[in-house]
Amino acid sequence: MKATSLFRSTSVRRSLPFAVATVIAVCFSSAGFAQQHLSKRYQTGKNVRIELRNISGTIVVESWNKDEIRLSATMESPNAHIVPKQMDESLIVDVMNDNRGRGDVGDVNFKLQVPVSSSVDLETRRGQISVSNIRGSSVRAHVSTEGDIELTNITAGQVVAQNTIGNIFFDGEFSTGGTYEFKSTKGDITIRIPGNSAFRLVAASPARKIALGEFWNNGFKTQDGRRYVGDVGDGRSSVSVTNFSGQITFLRK
Amino acid sequence: MNCEKCQELIHDLLDGTLSRADEFTLNTHLNECLDCQSVRQDLSAILGFCRSHRGEYETPPNAQALWLRIRNVVEAEAANVKVKSKAPRKSFLADLFGRSWELSLPQLASFAVAIMLLVSIVTVVGIRRFGNNPPIEQPQQQASNINERVFHRQQVINYWKQRVELNKARWSPEMRDTFDRNLQVIDAAVTQSLNELNRNPHDDISEQMLNESLNDKLALLKEFSDL
Repeated sequence: MKATSLFRSTSVRRSLPFAVATVIAVCFSSAGFAQQHLSKRYQTGKNVRIELRNISGTIVVESWNKDEIRLSATMESPNAHIVPKQMDESLIVDVMNDNRGRGDVGDVNFKLQVPVSSSVDLETRRGQISVSNIRGSSVRAHVSTEGDIELTNITAGQVVAQNTIGNIFFDGEFSTGGTYEFKSTKGDITIRIPGNSAFRLVAASPARKIALGEFWNNGFKTQDGRRYVGDVGDGRSSVSVTNFSGQITFLRK
Repeated sequence: MNCEKCQELIHDLLDGTLSRADEFTLNTHLNECLDCQSVRQDLSAILGFCRSHRGEYETPPNAQALWLRIRNVVEAEAANVKVKSKAPRKSFLADLFGRSWELSLPQLASFAVAIMLLVSIVTVVGIRRFGNNPPIEQPQQQASNINERVFHRQQVINYWKQRVELNKARWSPEMRDTFDRNLQVIDAAVTQSLNELNRNPHDDISEQMLNESLNDKLALLKEFSDL
C-alpha cells in the first residue's frame, strides 16, 4: 500500500488529531509538573545563623561536620524564585520576599546541611519542619498553620516551636539558664529530655491532658489539672508548654 | 572690648583722662555699638548741661550741717526698721485662737458644709489611692467587661480579615483550605475560652487561653495578609 493511500484512509485521518492533541497535552503537562532543583554551597564559620522564610513546603535541617552550608531546594513551580543572601556569618533565604507579585509558587521543599553550632530560625506558612543534631545558641521553628515540628538531638539556649495544627516533638537537653517554649493549638506536644534535667515548668492545657511522668514532684502546683507550675531540680532553665487540645507528655531519655 | 568695660571708660573719655591707646580702642567699639554710643551721648549731654549752667545753683548755707541732719534722719529710720523686725511674731495658731470670732448663722452653716465636703473628698481620694481591696465587681459586670475587650480585639481582627479576603483569590485552593481550617481551629479555641469565662469570670487559665488564641488569630491574619 502506498503512503498517500494510507494517509487518505479514513481511520488514520480520524486518529491523527487525537494523536497530536495527546502529544501536546503530554508536553504541557510535563512542563507544568517539572520540578526545579537548586543546590548551593556557602563557606561559613562555625557559628553561623540561618534564617529561612518559606511559604509552603517542608524544611529539613541537619548538621554535618563541615564549616559550610549546603542548601538544596526542590521547587514545585517553575515560577518560584529563590535568591539566598549570605551576610557576614548568616545565610538568609526569604521565599516570601523573593516571590512577591509572582502569584502562587507552590511548594518549595528545603534541605539544609549546616555546621553543628549553627543557630536556625525557620518559618513556613504550611509544611513540616525537622531539625536534627544542632548545638547552636537558638533554634526557632514556626509553622503558621499546619505542619508537624520535629526537633531531634538539640542542645540550644533558646528553643521555640509553634504551630496551629500538628504535633511538636522535642528531643534534646535544656541548658542552664535557657528558655524553651512549645505551643500548639491542636496537636500533641512531646518532650524527651535526660532524667537529670533541671527546669521551671509552666504547662497549660484546657483539655487536662498533661503527663509529667518521672518529672512530676510534690512541689508542683496544679489548677484542676489544666495548668501545672513547678520546679524540676534546681529549676535553672525556663520551660513553657501550651496547647489547647492535645496531649502534653514529658518523657525521660 | 565689651559694653560693660566701654561704659566704664566713657566717663574717663568725657573727663579727658583716657590714654591714647584706650581712647582708640574705645572709639573703635563706639563706632560699632549703638547702645554704647547712646550712653556716651546721654552722659555728654548731662555734662554739657552742668557745664553750661554752672553757678546757677548755689550751695546752701552751712552745707555741712544740712548733710549731717539728713544723715541723722536716715540712720534713725533704719534703727526703727530693725526694732520692728526683731519684735516676736505670733504663731498662726495663736493668732487664730487669740482672735475673737463673731460669725453669723449663715457663715457658720457654710463653714460646716465646707468642712463636710472637704472630709468626703479626702475620704474618697484616700480609698481610691490607698485602698488595698479592689472594687468588687459583679460576675455579670466582669463578663460584660471580657466581652467588651474581645469586641475591641475583634475590631482589629476584622480589619486584617478584610485585607486577607482581598488577597485570598490569588492563593492556591490548598492554601485557602489550609487557612480556613486553621482559622476555624483558633476560632473554636476563642469561643471555648469565652464560654468558660462567661461561666467563671475569675478563671485565669481561660483568660490566658483567650488572650493567646486572639493573639494567634491576629498573627495568622497578619501573616496571610502579606501572601
